[in-house]
Amino acid sequence: MIADERRNRLTEAMKDAGLDVLLVYGNAWQGDYLRYASDFGILEGQALAIVRSDGHVTLYVDSALEADRAALDCPGIETVLAPDLVGEVDLALNRMSNQSVGAAPQRLLPRRIAARTAEFKITDQTGFVDRLLMNKLDSEITAIRNSAKLADAGYKVFMQAARVGRADYELVAEAEAFFRANGVDDNFQIIGVGGVEVKGMAPPSGKTLKRGDMVTTELTPCVDGYYAQICRTLVVGEPTLEQRGAHALWRESMEAGIATVRDGVTAADIAKAENDVFRKYGLGKYTTSEFTRVRGHGMGLFADTKPHILEDVTTRIDAGMALIVHPNTYHPAVGYMVLGDGVAVTKDGCEVLTGTARELFSVAG
Amino acid sequence: MRRGLMGWNAEELPVAALEARLARLRAAMAKTGMDAFIIYTNNTRPSAVTHVTGFTPYWSDALMLVPKSGAPVFATALSKRVSEWIRTTDPLSEIVNTPKPGALMGERLAKDPSVKRVGVMEYDTLPAGLFDDMAAAAPSVEWTDGTALFAGLRREVDDAERGLLTRADVMAVAALGQALTGGAQDAGTLAGLVEQHARLAGAEETYIAVAPDLAADRRLNRTSQPTPLADRFVVRASIAYKGCWVRRTRTFVKDGSAAKADAWFADVVRSIEAGKSLAEQIAAKVGELSGASLTGWTAESCTGSCPLSAVASARFPGKEPPANGQFLVLTVELTIDGAPWIGAAPLIVGRPDF
Repeated sequence: MIADERRNRLTEAMKDAGLDVLLVYGNAWQGDYLRYASDFGILEGQALAIVRSDGHVTLYVDSALEADRAALDCPGIETVLAPDLVGEVDLALNRMSNQSVGAAPQRLLPRRIAARTAEFKITDQTGFVDRLLMNKLDSEITAIRNSAKLADAGYKVFMQAARVGRADYELVAEAEAFFRANGVDDNFQIIGVGGVEVKGMAPPSGKTLKRGDMVTTELTPCVDGYYAQICRTLVVGEPTLEQRGAHALWRESMEAGIATVRDGVTAADIAKAENDVFRKYGLGKYTTSEFTRVRGHGMGLFADTKPHILEDVTTRIDAGMALIVHPNTYHPAVGYMVLGDGVAVTKDGCEVLTGTARELFSVAG
Repeated sequence: MRRGLMGWNAEELPVAALEARLARLRAAMAKTGMDAFIIYTNNTRPSAVTHVTGFTPYWSDALMLVPKSGAPVFATALSKRVSEWIRTTDPLSEIVNTPKPGALMGERLAKDPSVKRVGVMEYDTLPAGLFDDMAAAAPSVEWTDGTALFAGLRREVDDAERGLLTRADVMAVAALGQALTGGAQDAGTLAGLVEQHARLAGAEETYIAVAPDLAADRRLNRTSQPTPLADRFVVRASIAYKGCWVRRTRTFVKDGSAAKADAWFADVVRSIEAGKSLAEQIAAKVGELSGASLTGWTAESCTGSCPLSAVASARFPGKEPPANGQFLVLTVELTIDGAPWIGAAPLIVGRPDF
């Protein structure tokens, strides 16, 4: 069981770090720290988990519906329904004086709990858990590989749903239905529809597809807690020469980034390889934060996990990490375009997890 | 994570309705001596900011500052590019992009000499990082918990909210109807069909949960697995439309024997009255249903940042009886004629036509 492997690794690491107790927080947005420690994929409300170095985990949830779900999904841990989440955990902390207590992610801890960090000498262990989240076990990479296969299949469903007259949210609905029926509990997805006026992706707004539109999406299905992403662009009707030209640049950039990925490089090296292609074609300004957020990121228990692939991020890339390399940004002639493949980092390079062709797709217009 | 239709429509949520909500908040602030009010939002705790501005984040978190007068200030770490999207769903706020929303809010508060005491929604659970930044930038401010103040404002829904809740409920009823089409023999396929139906109808978000064999286990869970559906199963659809959430839970029995409890429950949700104990009202109604005993009940509402959270239950009956105009989702669990049954539906107290 992947959850047991993770918990063993966590408790061993806690012992090495001299931690008796780890307090982790999670909600459905930032749920990776909680999932790593408890294996609970929270949907509603908030939760805190107390992990002891002997492997005992107590999960506190503030919703009765979630308490039922946790009992079903995580039978190996103790689940406590705590409508007064902070009060209940506050009391539990009182029983842990004179122990070495860490917390992650510290910035999201409820204020009232964090206010006691000095009293209990609670240390910020966000970085400690981040390292475990980034450097994955073989079983975690296998899970991401499975998610990547479903991302490929989901993109086919998305493409088949795209046609003139359909609303953007209808495309998302078709992909979600496919995912729910095929083992995907969750999915992060945003979309862009249109042309040069489109500067990025967002949730669907009701825009109707018309001939000539570019449709961008990033699909991020989650299987057993692990997210894998794919980014692709399609055109409703035949792509124009400008759209084809832009896509060729994106592909060259992504492939330059992927070619750089290997054990020992930095996130900045990958971003620079991607951005150098844009600079070569005089489009360097479109690699800045005015037009793009990141040039890729980690994949795992969070849809947008560390490390972020940016030229100022010096995080070392290690074998056992999973990343998406995506030079998504704005093109002044055609609008926002996306292309991204997931990869698993190896000693000598990387294994590309995405199987979908690196094409600018076309659907009947 | 929000991935369905998101957008603001002035006909569904008029600016005047948002201004009226802000005015009520400001009146309550003035009454309790608060010079400003801070509300946190993320995509799992969006509802208070949604109520005041119409905006729901699909990702990340943010802070909103409601000053005594003028536009609310919405500070987010999302990029400037995303601001254009935020603007399409928030017609009122000044939107500020900053890597440090907490620090920015603190600076704004510190700059105004009239600000002495600031209410914070859900003060205890505000993320520590944001609070620390805010408090460091505004060291003279006295912080006070504004949770009860805000919950008081949410005791009665207005016409705009009622309209959005009605739309969400229509989606939930229709989506659950997918279980009657015979298109699914397993829980994952059924969850997909229910979710697809709701999203095609314009749902902003859906959480589908199933108890595939109610006789064996009454607990519901989200599912994407081909677990066979037994003769008696339950589906829960939690559906959001434009930031307003409802839940419907329905028991499906292959021989149609859930109809008696279904009809009884439809009557119960129409009959809930203000000012009377919910526990007593439910117990009295169960007494009218032959062969039935009450296993449990829960009433949920939206009182703060969470879309729906329990306000009373068989275990925690709550101190206050329901108020006229209050939105509730009532869940009841029965044993009827020796078999389990679960139902949940939204209601507005005193509005049996909802």
